[in-house]
Amino acid sequence: MNSTLMKNFFVPLIAATALALTSAASAAPGDVDKGEGIYVKRCLQCHGDEGDGLGPAAERLNPSPRDFTLGLFKFVTSAFDADMPLDADLMRMVRDGMPGTAMPGWSDLLSEQDMWDVIAYIKTFAELEGEAEEKLDYGTQVKSSPESIAAGNKLFHDGDRCSECHGAEGKGDAIKKLKNDNGERTWPRNLTKSWTYRASNDAKDIFARVSVGIPTTQMPSFADPKSKKKLSIEDRWHVANYVVSLAKTDKTVRPENTVIQAARVEGTLPTLPNDDAWNAAAPSTFFMLPQIVGKERFFKSANDTISVRALYDDTSIALHLEWDDRTKSIPGDNTAKSIADEDLAEDAVAVQFPARIPDGMEKPYFLMGDNSRPVNLWHWSSGSTEEAEKTVLEDARGIANRTAREDNAGLTGKGSYKDGTWRVVLTRPLKTADAENDLQFEEGRFVPVAFFAWDGSNSEADTRHAITTWYWLLMKPAANATPMLTGIAVALLIFGLLVWWGRNAAANKEENP
Amino acid sequence: MKIPKLLQAVLVLAFVYFGFIVVFDYILDAVIPSSLLAMYMFFVAAGVFMVFTYDEEGTRELVAPVKAMVEDPSKRLWRNVVFVILPLAVGGGTYMKMLPNFEAPLELRTIHPAPPSTAKIYGKRVNFLKLENPYRKIEKEDPEAFRELVNEGAAVYIENCQYCHGDKLDGNGPYAAGLNPTPLNFQDVGTIAQLQESYLFWRITTGGPGLPKEAAPWISSMPVWQDFLKEDEVWKVILFLYDYTGHRPRSWEHE
Repeated sequence: MNSTLMKNFFVPLIAATALALTSAASAAPGDVDKGEGIYVKRCLQCHGDEGDGLGPAAERLNPSPRDFTLGLFKFVTSAFDADMPLDADLMRMVRDGMPGTAMPGWSDLLSEQDMWDVIAYIKTFAELEGEAEEKLDYGTQVKSSPESIAAGNKLFHDGDRCSECHGAEGKGDAIKKLKNDNGERTWPRNLTKSWTYRASNDAKDIFARVSVGIPTTQMPSFADPKSKKKLSIEDRWHVANYVVSLAKTDKTVRPENTVIQAARVEGTLPTLPNDDAWNAAAPSTFFMLPQIVGKERFFKSANDTISVRALYDDTSIALHLEWDDRTKSIPGDNTAKSIADEDLAEDAVAVQFPARIPDGMEKPYFLMGDNSRPVNLWHWSSGSTEEAEKTVLEDARGIANRTAREDNAGLTGKGSYKDGTWRVVLTRPLKTADAENDLQFEEGRFVPVAFFAWDGSNSEADTRHAITTWYWLLMKPAANATPMLTGIAVALLIFGLLVWWGRNAAANKEENP
Repeated sequence: MKIPKLLQAVLVLAFVYFGFIVVFDYILDAVIPSSLLAMYMFFVAAGVFMVFTYDEEGTRELVAPVKAMVEDPSKRLWRNVVFVILPLAVGGGTYMKMLPNFEAPLELRTIHPAPPSTAKIYGKRVNFLKLENPYRKIEKEDPEAFRELVNEGAAVYIENCQYCHGDKLDGNGPYAAGLNPTPLNFQDVGTIAQLQESYLFWRITTGGPGLPKEAAPWISSMPVWQDFLKEDEVWKVILFLYDYTGHRPRSWEHE
């Protein structure tokens, strides 16, 4: 069968059938014994023999696998005071998985019945029988509108109802340490990153989270009449619509966009992170992942994307780096210390360039180069109460082989933190005196570029940090007239030939009618 | 009514052109590269031209409308229209082609580069022609012990590999989207099902930095696993990869 047909017709059909089955037969009988067989093959490695979430990778997974023995689940649509999920909630997690976690959706490897069987087995770990009797009351959905979003915005910030944890701009910039029922550190969701929502950022899903809360975490129910911050059904829809609107930013990853286009500016380059001139450059956003490649591997980095803008003039190039960081990590500062994990380090970022633009396809090793192909690191760190922010030019020949340069070859940096976001500008002359060791920028050349970021409140320092692989930076040449002139020349030439042909033909005809 | 020869030729070409697009892009869902399509169409056009100009009569009939357009005074309006539109179209096309392109440079990746005959792994010289998974023979000898080895491999995999290659071994782990090139999908019939276990051992233990010279552009993010895993762990994880996906490793015996 061809895959387009599959995509356009059968998949929706299957999905629709699955949905129909899920809702119609929410108490579909699952076979516990068959479920155990599937669990052993597919689930045990993470969720453990005993269903306690203590599989071999438990320590390294972020978030850690669900402990089924508690019988509590995070993303549920039963009534807020029910102590059980609906079967449909469990089905959804098994079928669709949870974005941003190691839990995949299983609908391609397991049949509908397989999934019900495994759910039946999972429920035995906490001896759950049946499902919650009362479902969440969605009332009448309030459609998103500017008025509804404005109302939601007000409720979100009123008395710090949501902004207490999720931050003024919804970036989850924590003001206190949050923990789950197991005592593990948890972080409030950065609501501007739609792709990290475990159960989608559709208004209906957000309504459910706001209403029920997220069991086992400190996200409370706002439907609970006993709550001081409780909200009516209508108000919860307004909040949901507002939260959906937060995720509409120009800082989402577009996988096809692998080139940072630096635009040429007339006049002076902006050197401050909050200069309005940066709005003229479109940001390119890239995923970051933990440094799990080189020694020592690190599994739980905090930063997951970085947005980059670039501008240049006759003499210099400036990069504007922007990344969400829930904590401003200033060693020596008491507030920072109270939020941080044990070791508080500086926040930092680094831009990596090859020391020379490669001639062929051969780039330096993406993880800070190697002996034969070194890289330049433009490293900025946020400073402490004792010391100001610092920008250092480093040469690296591998992740464990970084050396700071005595002079900076004209590299300067300036950072600013506000409402859960760092913005840093790094500027360097296009050419330097040391062409052997410093990258020399050229207009119109594709230059490999990569990024690293450290969240000091997450004990990130040295080789513990977030990384990207190689992308490209291109200093976009100003438009020139050659294509237009060539086009006109070609058109004229063809026209001339046609006219010549026409005249010749006419002349021939006259000669031999 | 007889269709003029020139129109016939144009119709045949259009039929073939859209036929290619319908068959490849829509029915087979394998979008045909424009350069390849251009090459096909060149041969088709040459063929059509040869068929239509097989005899002199045909040739005359084919070029008659063109000739008439240029020479016949009653078709002057048509001629003028064509003489204006054609140069504009070609000139415009030239302009579009010459506009600077800001697409990333194309990096064609060598899939499954040939392994060297020997390499130094875990401090000793390994001959890939003779290298075999030491646990493979247990599969037949003692299925229960083999199952235990596979389970040990599964634990190694979940602890170390799933971040990129995914819980389902489909190359879609939680961090896959941040990597270029993307991690391999072991469920696919084009990856481990095509390879010998010794090849996997080579790629796992030496990782991205161990790629040979011809494997440009060397941008694999695969760690050098001999730095992190013990030799037996690598062999066990290979058992697990084949067991979980249901693929069989290739071996000299089968060929």
